[in-house]
Amino acid sequence: MSRGRALGTLLLLLALCPSARAASVTTKEIEEALTCQCGCGLTVHSCNHLQCGSGIPLRQEVLTLVTQGLSRDEILIRFREKYGEKILSSPTTEGFNLTAWILPFVVVAAGAGLLVRTVRRWTAAERGEAASPAPVAVSESDRRRLDAELAKEPS
Amino acid sequence: MHGSDLGTLALQLGWCLALYATGASLYGVLAARAEFVHSGRRAALALFGCVAVAVAVMLHALVTRDFRLEYVASYTSRTLPMSYTVAALWGGMAGSLLFWLALLNLSATVVHVQNRDRHRALMPYVTATLSTISLFFLSLLVFVVPAFERLDFAPSEGSDLNPLLQNYWMMIHPPALYAGYVTVSVPFAFCVAALASGQLGDDWIRSTRRWTLLSWFFLTLGNVFGGAWAYEVLGWGGYWAWDPVENAAFMPWLVMTAFLHSVMIQEKKDMLKVWNVSLIILAFALTIFGTFLTRSGVISSVHSFTQSGLGPFFLWFLAAVLVGAIALVGWRLPILRSQNQLESFFSREAAFLFNNLILLGICFTVFWGTVFPVISEWVRGVKITVGPPFFNKVNAPLGLCLLFLTGVGPIIAWRRATPKNLRRNFALPLACGVAGGLVLFALGMRQLAALVSFSLCLFVAATVAIEFYRGTRARQALVGEPAATALAHLVSKNHRRYGGYVIHLGVVLVFMGITGSSLFKEEVQATVAPGQSFSIGAYTLRFDRLSEDDDPHVAITRAEVTVLRGDRVVGLLWPEKRFYKRPGQPTTEVAIRKTLREDLYLVLGALDPPSGLVTFQTFLNPLVTWLWFGGAVMALGTAVVMTPTAAERRARAASPAGERSPSVAEEG
Repeated sequence: MSRGRALGTLLLLLALCPSARAASVTTKEIEEALTCQCGCGLTVHSCNHLQCGSGIPLRQEVLTLVTQGLSRDEILIRFREKYGEKILSSPTTEGFNLTAWILPFVVVAAGAGLLVRTVRRWTAAERGEAASPAPVAVSESDRRRLDAELAKEPS
Repeated sequence: MHGSDLGTLALQLGWCLALYATGASLYGVLAARAEFVHSGRRAALALFGCVAVAVAVMLHALVTRDFRLEYVASYTSRTLPMSYTVAALWGGMAGSLLFWLALLNLSATVVHVQNRDRHRALMPYVTATLSTISLFFLSLLVFVVPAFERLDFAPSEGSDLNPLLQNYWMMIHPPALYAGYVTVSVPFAFCVAALASGQLGDDWIRSTRRWTLLSWFFLTLGNVFGGAWAYEVLGWGGYWAWDPVENAAFMPWLVMTAFLHSVMIQEKKDMLKVWNVSLIILAFALTIFGTFLTRSGVISSVHSFTQSGLGPFFLWFLAAVLVGAIALVGWRLPILRSQNQLESFFSREAAFLFNNLILLGICFTVFWGTVFPVISEWVRGVKITVGPPFFNKVNAPLGLCLLFLTGVGPIIAWRRATPKNLRRNFALPLACGVAGGLVLFALGMRQLAALVSFSLCLFVAATVAIEFYRGTRARQALVGEPAATALAHLVSKNHRRYGGYVIHLGVVLVFMGITGSSLFKEEVQATVAPGQSFSIGAYTLRFDRLSEDDDPHVAITRAEVTVLRGDRVVGLLWPEKRFYKRPGQPTTEVAIRKTLREDLYLVLGALDPPSGLVTFQTFLNPLVTWLWFGGAVMALGTAVVMTPTAAERRARAASPAGERSPSVAEEG
């Protein structure tokens, strides 16, 4: 892999990796990183079920932890330890879960590589066909015979 | 004899007919016995009659509230409005399968009528394929989830339709999506027929071109309507949550979009035959996969029907479809292999190939994210969630690449783009995109994703505008028509090309809507007493009063909220809380003030009657209307593409033996 490609991949992973960002944490940010467990399929921030038995207490917990000054990662680790990994709205970026993040890009990159190779082959085939046929080598004896035949032709 | 017996009988007879149509068609074509081919075709037509009878019986039972039928008692009530009572046909498991079957057989009947005297070599296989699909759905309805199951007693009242489904979108979204799913079966059936018969030229593609477009049209509408429904009903301020069932509807759309582009290369250069048949097979398989997702309960979704034992049946059918189709492709590979040649990387053909790559890349991402929780549980034994943040992060860069290619495709030359051609066609659109980005930056926009997205939107819009402008100018110069007439004639002469540009314009509007509403959304939660106000963006909202309505079906608590900009009243909003009495379920009805610039989206949250305090959740969603408008523009463009030009109508009239489509050269 070239240096440029390696750097590109690293930047992509850093951009995708939530823990790579260091910023002051907001309750919204944490709520969006958590999935409501009421079955709505939405994040804790988005769930608007009336008196939701899951979303409302989770929001309270988030507020408490943010108020305590914990970082995003620390808060998410606490939630993960308490409720299990399913509480997180995205797969973590470690172990087997990393495949969730990487595989789509690997597939597209592999597809792009294959496509570039295929198109190169096809364009080469086109060039090969388009080019004029290679000159045929004529032996010395053939050339003399041809000259003799041409000399016989009436002018 | 109870009406339900007639329905059951019709389905059982239909099952026999589907089996016979499949067998007779295959035997007829393989043994060269034309009478069996005709008989199979007539059986397929009769099958539609049986399914129509079954649907009529079910509709009659629904509208007469015949609660002796388990289905009617489960999905309607005496107080349910008639429109939703009819829509209950597709509101439950058995009814939705019956509806699917009815649409499939309606399509099959149209295909049989259209091709009565055409494609004699293909049609027996088409009949067999469509009848096999019908046979699968009929088997479910006859043996697994009987649609006309009767109760031992007649309850005085039904359980009612799920309140979330009691919305006008229920009458529009599922039929559109089902029509999209079902019509994929037609190109799939022709593809199988081409593989089985060995007639692998462009015939099957040309014959099904309008079906492919029709399917794409309905899938587009189905997805957009689904988003609009979620936006108006679920009350979380968004329209797309990457729910597994939303994903299931999105994936066939992506694959069909790829097919619509790559098929142009086959028509023009007789290439990519293996690729194109593979895309159609994949699109059909994904429609079955989507049906499996909604009905298996294997992946949790807000859209799921009640969990049932149908999952394994769909999985087996899906496996059979894939194995059968792959075997056919493998068998025909020597004929399918074509002399693939491209003149240059810088060509429309290459741009379409990259467009296919990105579309399938997004499709894979959506599939992977949807099934990853199951894979994770299988591999690690740990349940995890793959929610919107994952899909948004991974798909955003791919989506922007796709948007860029949307602009490149139409203006790069076929075969080989020369440097002069590139400069001539790309300079102005690129300048528009870059200038637009700089202006937005100067106006204070600092989000890179938004700047890139809006710049690309401008780039694509400019490519479309320039194409229309150049075409109109050329026609004016050639024929001397006024601009408006020249434009109208330009479009009328080549629906495929200019309809396609309109679709691209729709795509631009959709991207603008998504970018604006995703990246610039504001939200405020406020608890106020009557007479008190709160603010969001440039708006002040004053909570005036609560009122109540009560009828036998639903109890409604409604808030009246005055919307002000500065001191000026600009509107009134009435968000509601509803309590549907029969299922005993509360819902929220949002109130939305829509403008081209932004939606003011108001949700009535918690109520505290003793104190009179009310909590409102309020969202300011920029550019959402552009998204819906973009969907409508895409549908309009597809309608233009599907409509035959005068030249095509004349050609078809002169050549009844085969449907003709315009040559690709005509597209420029």
